[in-house]
Amino acid sequence: MRRLSPGAASRAALGRRARAAKSGAAPALGRRARAGSRVAGALRASFGRRTAAELLYALTSIPLAVPGFCYAVATLALGAGLAVTAVGIPLLALALAGARRFGGLYRASAGRLLGERVRPPASPRPGTGFYGRVQTTLGDAAGWRAMAYFLLRLPLAALYLYVVLCTWGWSVVALTYPIQRAFRWNDMTAQDERGLIRNGLPVGGLHFDTWPRNLVVAAAGVVLLFVAPWAVRAVVLLDRMLIRRLLGASETAERIRTLEETRASAVDDAAATLRRIERDLHDGAQARLVALTMQLTLMRETAPDGPVRELATAAQSTAKAAITELRELVRGIHPPVLDSGLDAALATLAAGAGLPVELRADIPVRPTAAIESIAYFCAAELLTNVIRHSGASRARIEVVQRDDRLRLRVWDDGSGGAIVGAGSGLPGLAERIRPVDGLLEVVSPAGGPTVVTVELPSHA
Amino acid sequence: MRIVIADDAVILREGLAQLLATRGHEVVAGVADAAALREAVAAHLPDVAVIDIRMPPTHTDEGLRAALDLRRDHPRVGLLLFSQYVETRFAADLLAGSPAGVGYLLKERVADLDDFVDALRRVAAGGTALDPEVVKQLLGSRHHGVGALTPREREVLALMAEGRANAAIAKTLVVSDRAVEKHIANIFTKLGLAPSGDDHRRVLAVLHYLRS
Repeated sequence: MRRLSPGAASRAALGRRARAAKSGAAPALGRRARAGSRVAGALRASFGRRTAAELLYALTSIPLAVPGFCYAVATLALGAGLAVTAVGIPLLALALAGARRFGGLYRASAGRLLGERVRPPASPRPGTGFYGRVQTTLGDAAGWRAMAYFLLRLPLAALYLYVVLCTWGWSVVALTYPIQRAFRWNDMTAQDERGLIRNGLPVGGLHFDTWPRNLVVAAAGVVLLFVAPWAVRAVVLLDRMLIRRLLGASETAERIRTLEETRASAVDDAAATLRRIERDLHDGAQARLVALTMQLTLMRETAPDGPVRELATAAQSTAKAAITELRELVRGIHPPVLDSGLDAALATLAAGAGLPVELRADIPVRPTAAIESIAYFCAAELLTNVIRHSGASRARIEVVQRDDRLRLRVWDDGSGGAIVGAGSGLPGLAERIRPVDGLLEVVSPAGGPTVVTVELPSHA
Repeated sequence: MRIVIADDAVILREGLAQLLATRGHEVVAGVADAAALREAVAAHLPDVAVIDIRMPPTHTDEGLRAALDLRRDHPRVGLLLFSQYVETRFAADLLAGSPAGVGYLLKERVADLDDFVDALRRVAAGGTALDPEVVKQLLGSRHHGVGALTPREREVLALMAEGRANAAIAKTLVVSDRAVEKHIANIFTKLGLAPSGDDHRRVLAVLHYLRS
């Protein structure tokens, strides 16, 4: 239970009393005022600023629809027509990229006049190289959705035009009907069923040619005037929906993108952490162990022959063993030479394999540290497989980086028959490359040779 | 010998200087990065520079690059790379061209001070001093005629590749100098190398063979 201080309690009581006094003083007056405010509210809803904005939006939307429609039809037709030539597809990609930007104009007008704030779709992950970019743009759903909006926008504009004319237009015409009649502006002449010439609007055999009848038309105009804002609003509602769906950020795409980004940064963070651990060990524990070795050497140099010197020698071999173990451990976490490049790291790996390993590396652009690390450990695992299972007499490691992809291929002349599973280490490898959408291909016919290909993106 | 030490860990610089002092060698400068190393070598022209491969700012291979520059600028200064890792690429870069007066040792090799000082001496005298790990990688990296050698000959070959003189090889394997000579003659015949009377030339021939 909340406790109030005495002061607060009395203030609350005062407030209650004041409210009671207000509502009890003139109940009849209040009811009348409430009814009045309800009418004012209805009027505001029908003819407020929002209605004006929506009407303005509907009117501007008609000319605005034309360029978008023309753009979509022209570029799609041109792109499709030239699809067989080299320029067709890139042109289409360019048109889609343009559609994305062009969509901004419609978002802006909806935002300004309707208050419909739509988040623009996130830009697609940029591809590298000309064809990489073309490919990402063609696969970009946001561009296609914008195109769809441009195409739908023209019939929608026609609907706007129709609704505005039928409601606002006719309501003005009907409201001013008595005036038109008075000044004889709108002398519609028609023959009635008896063959008489009648002036005035004929509706289903009824001729609005007398003053009371003129007023009925004006009254219909008033009714239409109240209907008009809501009719326009209904179309605007449809348009809002289309804008949100077609020009806005797709929720699933956004989610996927967020997940991809956070996953990539998690992968990068993990790689950075391992690298930091390696560096800390190198500058810390490993350096201290080397220093310890030096001190023990000094002890051996200066101590007289005897148990102390022997002990120093024993301690030294323990320290050396620790250094070796730590070195192997660190190699399993993050081989320091990876900082100098994947090819340099693979060179040491190949040289230490225990069988002749040919290394071919062609890496014009360095992948990110995380990808280099994954590629390195894949190669290490594959090489271990070759040594353990294949009975190969030689092996080859190929690393090629092209178009934002890094391809690692390990070949051996062993007995073949490698499968994913059965203690081959290949499932572990598949797990290793999964967080970066890597691909694994194993070709290993019985009798060999075995070729395992791992394909990774250049960045996580 | 007059020695320059480049290592960003003070504890290792000082420890090494202390050790070398016990053998009467003088550490004329101790520096922490590649730029200071270049200056120190130019200023002191030491017999040998002991260089840590990983130094600031990038902590990758500054020491190696500085060593390659120094070999070009001061060919008479011996260069010993000193690292916690043996990397094939670094060894290959160091041994490219004419690998005279260079060495590459793991840091823990200071445990055997006699051996370490001997390696420094060889490097200072224009010879080579390679870590057994480097040699292992050289022997294992490619398919060559090493398979035709007897185990004993392979041992002799490895020790030669480390840069050791015949007498040292004989001492390590506890055999006579003549026996070592005989093994070396066999190795050269089997690998198809031109014989040479000079220890150092023979080492270079072996290294050249292993790298090709």
